[in-house]
Amino acid sequence: MSLLLRPRAALGGAVLAGAVLVAVATALAVGTVPMSPLRSLPALAGAGDPADILVVQRLRGPRLVAGLLVGAALGASGCLMQTLARNRLATPGTVGIDDGATAFAVASVVGASTSLAPSAMALAGAATAAALALGLAGGAGTSGYRFVVVGLGVGAVLGAVTSLLLVRAPIDAANAAFPWTVGTLNTRPAAAVTLLGYGLAGCLPLALLIGRRLSVLRLSDSVAAGLGVRVRAVRLAALAVAVVCAGLAVAVGGPLGMVALLAPEAARRVCGPYGVPVLGSALAGAALVLLADTAGRTLAAPVEVPAGLVTAVIGGPYLLWLLLTSRPRRLP
Amino acid sequence: MTPPATPPSAQAADPSAVLRADGVTLAHGQAIAVDTIRLAPPPGRLTAVVGPNGCGKSTLLAGLSRLHRPAGGTVLLDGRDLARLPAREAARRIGLLPQSAQAPDGLTVADLVRFGRQPHQGLLRQWSPQDQQAVDRALTATGMTALAGRLLETLSGGQRQRAWIALTVAQETAVLLLDEPTSALDLGHQLEVFELLRELAAAGRTVVVVVHDLMLACRYADHLVAMKAGRMVAEGAPREVVTPELIRRLYGVEAGVLRDPDTDRPLVVPRGLAP
Amino acid sequence: MLVGNHERSITSGAAPPAAAPTDRLPARRMAAGVAVPVALLALTGAASLLIGSGEVGPVRSWREVPGGARDPEAAFAVWHLRGPRTLVAMVVGAALGTAGAALQAVARNPLAEPGLLGVSAGASTGVVLVIALGGSAATLGPYAAVLGALLGCLAAVGAARLRGVGDDPLRLVLAGAALSGLLGSLTSVLLLVDNRTADEVRFWTVGGVAGRDLGALADVAPALLLGAVLLLLVARPLSAMALGEPAAAGLGHRPRRARLTAVVAVALLVGGATAVAGPIGFVGLVVPFAARALVGPDLRRVLVPSLLLGPVVVVAADVVSRLLVRPYEMPLGVVTALIGAPVLVVVARARRVPAL
Repeated sequence: MSLLLRPRAALGGAVLAGAVLVAVATALAVGTVPMSPLRSLPALAGAGDPADILVVQRLRGPRLVAGLLVGAALGASGCLMQTLARNRLATPGTVGIDDGATAFAVASVVGASTSLAPSAMALAGAATAAALALGLAGGAGTSGYRFVVVGLGVGAVLGAVTSLLLVRAPIDAANAAFPWTVGTLNTRPAAAVTLLGYGLAGCLPLALLIGRRLSVLRLSDSVAAGLGVRVRAVRLAALAVAVVCAGLAVAVGGPLGMVALLAPEAARRVCGPYGVPVLGSALAGAALVLLADTAGRTLAAPVEVPAGLVTAVIGGPYLLWLLLTSRPRRLP
Repeated sequence: MTPPATPPSAQAADPSAVLRADGVTLAHGQAIAVDTIRLAPPPGRLTAVVGPNGCGKSTLLAGLSRLHRPAGGTVLLDGRDLARLPAREAARRIGLLPQSAQAPDGLTVADLVRFGRQPHQGLLRQWSPQDQQAVDRALTATGMTALAGRLLETLSGGQRQRAWIALTVAQETAVLLLDEPTSALDLGHQLEVFELLRELAAAGRTVVVVVHDLMLACRYADHLVAMKAGRMVAEGAPREVVTPELIRRLYGVEAGVLRDPDTDRPLVVPRGLAP
Repeated sequence: MLVGNHERSITSGAAPPAAAPTDRLPARRMAAGVAVPVALLALTGAASLLIGSGEVGPVRSWREVPGGARDPEAAFAVWHLRGPRTLVAMVVGAALGTAGAALQAVARNPLAEPGLLGVSAGASTGVVLVIALGGSAATLGPYAAVLGALLGCLAAVGAARLRGVGDDPLRLVLAGAALSGLLGSLTSVLLLVDNRTADEVRFWTVGGVAGRDLGALADVAPALLLGAVLLLLVARPLSAMALGEPAAAGLGHRPRRARLTAVVAVALLVGGATAVAGPIGFVGLVVPFAARALVGPDLRRVLVPSLLLGPVVVVAADVVSRLLVRPYEMPLGVVTALIGAPVLVVVARARRVPAL
């Protein structure tokens, strides 16, 4: 665990954990009934005004938990995907997981031949997309290039299917399916949240373990193999964990845009460029989703802006800045 | 050693063109890579630029080929400032083979060599019989005629490098600049390329080549330019400038310098790191 | 003589050129590269006039082709519905096909495709913005689309330089995917803000040529023509840039200028096409892929079959879209995605990424 002992990384981890706490406090405090932490924290434990207890335990609490779990899962998944593809822009979304989840969930909502719950369908969609991409690519391949490109194609087809479903559907059904196309914590089916909780409890330690191996893989495959890392196995395991995390997360909240891209970016900024910041990314993702959701439900109240749109609006300018300011090589 | 027969492409080259660097300084941002260098590679000769890694020799070549605009001084072509020459006109007189150039898959040798005629073409002047003749001459001069229809990716490294040189030959320029054309080749292919370069120089061109390998430079160069840390430290015929002192100064290596009894050229024998 | 055998290998090549095969092979390939697409274009064009999703079948349509209006319903279907639509599909296809070829040359990446790179998403976001702000999609659409496409293009080309490992072809595509995702979210924001336009936008974002008439084509003709002219001007430098930018500069080209011109040309072509038909993905991937298979990698040669194959792909996709879910029509963008995704898989599965 030498990586964790680096002062900067440890400090960064503490900073991110602090950010999560701030996000939690804010999420509990703001809303139609403003509540100071002095009231909300006891209420969380079941003490104080019964009205406060109701608001905190029934309304804000579950949403808070869902946000934390979704953010952590997306953050960790994004971190693994970026390291796998050796690219800061790779996310579970780029390999079609988001599109798959959306397509299946929308199919369920607009009633195209299924009566399953949208969240179960989203999970099935994510799994289908990942399996299709993996199958068509013939394995994870070197540096994940093939997998990512094929996943992109799978995502495009599923995206086209979503468009088709939305165009075919009557306007009411299309509006009902809308949250599943942008990502929100408003629906958060309890079963899906529970599943995500168990999944994350299993995957996060695994992700931390794989992350340390992956940091060697960043050099090059042959160097890593020379250092005794089983390259293919590590890569496949990382992919599996990333896909499971992302799939469970989209089953809860739909495709929350940009979280998987922004969280590892933030973690690298804060913790420094050492290793693979799986834990930092998970913390940053949790804070990000929670803050975005809180902002979404309060800023434009009584209209609720889906958290996915808030993250997209935050992440968009950052992405553009990233794309446009990288220094070009000069030639006449 | 008999001088090789003058290749047909010799007629096309203009022997009067003279390339001259006049106190040229080249910088990457703030960092100066080449510091006030004066250089006039002699026409009809093979000039080799040598020096340790990062000494600025590739930057110097980029400066001579107007890829890199000087921060100070001028590069003159026949007395005219190269930076003010229109790009296409300059490309009709200076040919450049960049380091580790790569071609797309599916290109034949002839396809590649044809690109060399682009500086001679314009909006109204498309492919002409003269262009075809120049391509045929370049293929002949580089011994690539028989391979003209082959795909580049099916050739050996040496053949591929010869195809690239054919491209610059088809450009029919008086000056030819090459950046490490032999860096990834084995000994046989290295000699193959340098024999070709010597023929091209003997036909009247000014040939300047950046080489990593001091032994190759000693064996083939008519004129040697040694650089260190952006400055020129020696210039002249290899047998005059290559000394144990120069090698110590350039590379920090103790070496003996012998004479090849056949060619009377210097042979560098490294003995160890200088204390 | 130290290097007898190498010396010989050089001089032996100096023997009189054995009827240099240099000029004939490309000519024959080029002939095939024109003849095959022309034949396909004639076939798909005829199919597009004769086949529809409605009542008027191929036989009735065929009788009406000479004109004379003996069967008014068929005449209307052939000449007023399918005719303009076919023409629009052809123009859109030609624009997207050539734009794809140019973009792949600029990026030196066989995966560079206006749809994958977010150029189409940029164009359609531009149009959606116009619709959402209450402007007229017909009059302002083309400008907004070209502007959006230009932004998408610049972001994508900027992304090609984003730090990554080596000359990884993935960088560009990932940047495009991220950009497309971002623009998709932006469109979603607009939908959320304004339910009134949601229906129009939703329909428009799928892409299609059904019901598009020649007037829509006339609106974008200036953009498309300008794009085509710029592309012609920049074709030669762009083809040389396939050898690497230093080599292109050595041949007297200015890579930066050429790249910028090409980007503007691509933006004009994709923006124009998108303003007429909405975002239609994968045409710019499939067409240059097929064109290169016909005539080799040189961009100047690739552009010719691309110009012809683009219409083939879009018209064929349009015909298929009428047949798949009769009596309804499938959105065109969905069909091209279904055609394009397998090609993407083929490109990705090639043992290594073909250098471009």
